[in-house]
Amino acid sequence: MASIAPRKRTGATRQRTSTHEGFLTHRNLFWAKLSAALAVALIALYIFVPLPGTHFGSSWLGYTLGTIGALLILWLTMLGMRKRAITPGRWSLKGWTSAHVYLGLCLTVIGTLHSGFHLGWNVHTLAWALMLIVIASGIFGIWVYATLPQALSSNRYDEEGAITEKQMIEALRSLDRQIHDAAQPLDPETATLVGKSLDEDPFAGTFWNRITGTYPKCATRSTAAELRRIRAYRPRIANDPLDKVDALLTRKEAMLGRMRRHLKLKSWLQAWLYVHVPVTFALIAALSAHIVSVFFYW
Amino acid sequence: MSFLVRQIALKSSGEEIVRPTTVEGDVLTIGRDAACDIHLPDLAVDPRHAQVTRQSDGSLVIASIGAQPFEVNGRSTTQSPLDPVAGAELTFGGHRISVSVDAESGEATFTVRRVEAVSDSAEDKDITTVYTLKGLLPGKRMSAWTFAILVLVSFLAFPIYSYMTYKPLAMQEKARRPDGFHADQTWSSGPLSLAHKNLGGDCQACHTQAFVAVTDKACLTCHTKDAHDHIADKSRLLKARGEPEGMARLQRAVATAFNRPAGRCVDCHTEHEGAGAMPATQQQFCADCHNGMKSRLGDTKLADAADFGTAHPQFKPMIISGMNGKKPLFQRASWTPGLTENNGLKFTHGQHLSKTNGIAQMVRRMPGRFAANDALQCKDCHKSDATGTRFKPVVMEDSCQSCHSLSFDQVGGTFRTLRHGEPELVVADLRAFYRGGAPARPANLSGLARRVPGDAALRSTAADYARAVRFYPTRAEQAVAQVFSQGGMCYDCHTVNRGGSMASGGFTVQPVAQNDRYYHKGWFDHKAHNKSDCADCHVNAATSNKASDLLVPGIDGKGGCRSCHVGGEGAKLASVSVKDPVDSSCAMCHSYHMDAGAPWAPKKDRKKDVAQTVAVAERPRFPVKLR
Repeated sequence: MASIAPRKRTGATRQRTSTHEGFLTHRNLFWAKLSAALAVALIALYIFVPLPGTHFGSSWLGYTLGTIGALLILWLTMLGMRKRAITPGRWSLKGWTSAHVYLGLCLTVIGTLHSGFHLGWNVHTLAWALMLIVIASGIFGIWVYATLPQALSSNRYDEEGAITEKQMIEALRSLDRQIHDAAQPLDPETATLVGKSLDEDPFAGTFWNRITGTYPKCATRSTAAELRRIRAYRPRIANDPLDKVDALLTRKEAMLGRMRRHLKLKSWLQAWLYVHVPVTFALIAALSAHIVSVFFYW
Repeated sequence: MSFLVRQIALKSSGEEIVRPTTVEGDVLTIGRDAACDIHLPDLAVDPRHAQVTRQSDGSLVIASIGAQPFEVNGRSTTQSPLDPVAGAELTFGGHRISVSVDAESGEATFTVRRVEAVSDSAEDKDITTVYTLKGLLPGKRMSAWTFAILVLVSFLAFPIYSYMTYKPLAMQEKARRPDGFHADQTWSSGPLSLAHKNLGGDCQACHTQAFVAVTDKACLTCHTKDAHDHIADKSRLLKARGEPEGMARLQRAVATAFNRPAGRCVDCHTEHEGAGAMPATQQQFCADCHNGMKSRLGDTKLADAADFGTAHPQFKPMIISGMNGKKPLFQRASWTPGLTENNGLKFTHGQHLSKTNGIAQMVRRMPGRFAANDALQCKDCHKSDATGTRFKPVVMEDSCQSCHSLSFDQVGGTFRTLRHGEPELVVADLRAFYRGGAPARPANLSGLARRVPGDAALRSTAADYARAVRFYPTRAEQAVAQVFSQGGMCYDCHTVNRGGSMASGGFTVQPVAQNDRYYHKGWFDHKAHNKSDCADCHVNAATSNKASDLLVPGIDGKGGCRSCHVGGEGAKLASVSVKDPVDSSCAMCHSYHMDAGAPWAPKKDRKKDVAQTVAVAERPRFPVKLR
C-alpha cells in the first residue's frame, strides 16, 4: 500500500514517522461508515416497512435487495480486474479495495434480508451460502493481511539487516556449496548422508507442510542428527571434517527454518484467495442459476 | 601405456575450460579422493570408487573397488569391459565420463564433465513462483472454472433437462411425474403449503410453461369445484382494488414488465412460503378492495365495507315477499327494527311464550310434556338441524298438533284426525263422515222402549228421526264451513279465503312458507352461539304479538350482532357498548370463494362437523408416458 511522505521534517529526530494509511482506514473509514449506514437502513426498512404478505424475495423490498445484491457481487468481483491497474486519487486502488471490503461485508446483510430468512436445500440458499463462504474467506484474508506482514518482516530481519527472497535462496546455495566442499573427505556412508541434505529441494513439501511449517521428513535435519549420532561414538580428533560439516549443516538448518517460516507466512497470506476467488465464480454461477430459475418458473 | 583425462569445467559465462592430464600406467582410479587419477568432487562417489585396468590383450575393464555400483551406458553395474574405439559413457553420481580414443595419440581418453549441480538448491529456481503456492493447490483459474461449470450444470442445465423431459405432462390433471428426485426441485424457493405438499416433486403441476408466470388455468386444473370466482371479470377485480401506490406501484410496474400479470390466483395465494397450513384470510385482503369500492367501481351493487365494528353496511336479510303458487318468493330487504315478513301463519310468538296466559296454564297442567313446566320454550317447536347451524322447519304434526288438535271423531280409544295441509282431503273426510254415518237413534225408537200409550209420540219421534237421517249428509257442508271459518280448526292458525274449488268446500288456505336462512351472503352458525339464550339475539320474541314480526336480529340495535362482535382489531362504534367483545374479521362470516357452506377456515380453527370443500388435488401417479 502506498505510503504518504511525512509533511513536515523538523530534522530534530531521525525516527521515521509512518503515515501509512491502509485500505482498512482509508479516507477515515468512509466506506465502513457508508456500509454500516446502508446496513442499518436496510434492516430498518426490513423491520418497519409494511409489506402485503410475508417477507420474501418476491416482495418489492425483496426484488430491490436482490438487484442491489447481484450488482454488488458483480462489482466486487471487478476488483480482480481493477487491481491490475494501479491508479492514485479518489478512485485509487486503495479506495476501491476499501470499498470492496466494507461493501462486501454489507452484502451479508443485503443477501440475508433478500432471503427473508427462508432457507432450504435449494439453489437460492446455495447462492446465499456461497456468498457467505466468499465473505468469510475475505474476512479471513483481511485478518491475515492485517496481522501477518509484520511477522513476515520481522522474520526477514536479523542483525545484518533484511534479507530478500532471492538472498534466502542464494544463502542456501552458498551453504550447500560449502557443505559439499567440506564433505569431500568423508567416508561413503557419511557422504551419502550429506548428499541427501544437498539433494533436498528447499521448496519441497505439500500444502499442509507449507501452511503448518512442519516438515517431519526434512533431510537436512535427519542428516545432521544422524551425523551427530555417528560422531558421538567416534574418538575426537583435530580437524575432523565432520565437525565442519556439522557446523555448516546447523547453519543450513537455521537458514532453512527461516525460509520455511517465510513460506508459511506467505502461504497464509495467499491461501485464502484460493477459496475466495474460485468460490466467487461458483457464486456467480449459482447466482445466474438463481435468477434464471426464478424467471423460468415465474 | 597411458590414459588421457580431460576435466571440463564451465565458466560462469557458459564457456568450457578443458584441463587435460595424462595418467601413466595400466590402472586408472576413479573416486572422490583427491589422490585418484580421475578426481570427482561428488559426495555420491566413493573415495575410491572404481578402477579401469588394461588387460594383457590391451582391452580395458572397469570394475568397482568397493561394492558401490556405477553406470555404463545408462545401466548400473559393478564391472564392465570398455572399448574406447566403440566409445562408452560412464556415470558416477553427478558426473559423466565419456570414453573415447584420442585422434592424435590413439590413447584411451576419459572426458569428465559435471552434469548435476552440487545441490538441489543450486539448480535453477523460478524466484517468482517458488515462494508462492503455485503447484501446491489447484490453480485459482482452474478451480474457478470447475466450480462454476459444476454449479451451472447441476443447478441450471440439469433442472432445465428435467423440465423439458416432463413438459408434456403440464396441464394434465391425471398425469404426474414419477416419484423420486427431479433436478428442478432444487429451484423450489421453499416448501409448499400442506395442501399442496404432494405436488412438491411435480413443479410442472403449476409452472406449466417456461418464463410464463403461473396461470389461473393451472390452479383450476385441480380446483374444479372449490374455486368459485369472487369476481369472474379480472379487470373489474383489479379496478376494485384500485391503483397501487408507492412502492407497490413500482412492484406492479416491474412485475408487468416482466410478464407477471396482476390479479391471478397466486397474487393472494402465494406459495413456497413454508410448510404450514394456509392461513386465514386477513381482513386487509378484503378491505383492500371493499373499503371505498363504490368510488372506484361506480356500478357495483355492494356497499363499502372495511371493518365489522365500524364500517359494515346494514344486513339485508332474504325475506319472503309473496307466494308463487306454493313456492315462496324471496327478496332482500335492508334490515330495520320494524321489518315484517308474512309467512302465511297467524302464529304469534308472544302469546305462545307467555308465562301467564292459558297456554302457560296448559303447560303447567301437563308437567313433563314440554321442555319446561311453566311455559312453552323455543325448543318445544324449533329443532336444530343435523349440523346445528340452522333450524329445521317447524312441523305442524310434531309441534302444533299436541294442542291444536285436528280430531273430529273417536272410534273406541282412537281419534280420527283431519289431514293437515290438504284442504280437499279435509273436506272429503268430513263429507264421507256425514254420508256414511247417521244421527244417534233416539232411545224410544228401540224395541225395548217403554211405551207411552198412544202412537202419536212415537210417530213424531220416528218422523223426526227419519228427517234427521234424510238430511244428515247435508250437515257435512256445515261442518266444512265451520272448520274453515272463525272458531274452526284451520282458521285458528291459517288465513282462509273464499274462492276455492268445490273440492275444498269453496275455501282456500293461504300457503305457508318457512324461511330457513335469512342471511345468504354471510355465514351464521347457531351452534357457535349455543351458549347464549335465544332471546339474547331474538329479543322481541317474547313480546311479539304480530305474526309478521321479523325476529331475526340485524347488525346493530338490541340483540344485533354488534352487541358482541367487534372489528377484526377490536374496533367498535362509539355508540355501542360491548360487554364481552369478540374480535371478528371478515373471514368469520364471509368467504372469498363463496358457496352455500361455511367460510373457509384453517384446519386448526375449524369445527369438526363443518363440511369443507377441498380441491381434488390427489392425482394418481402414473408412470410417465411420453409421446
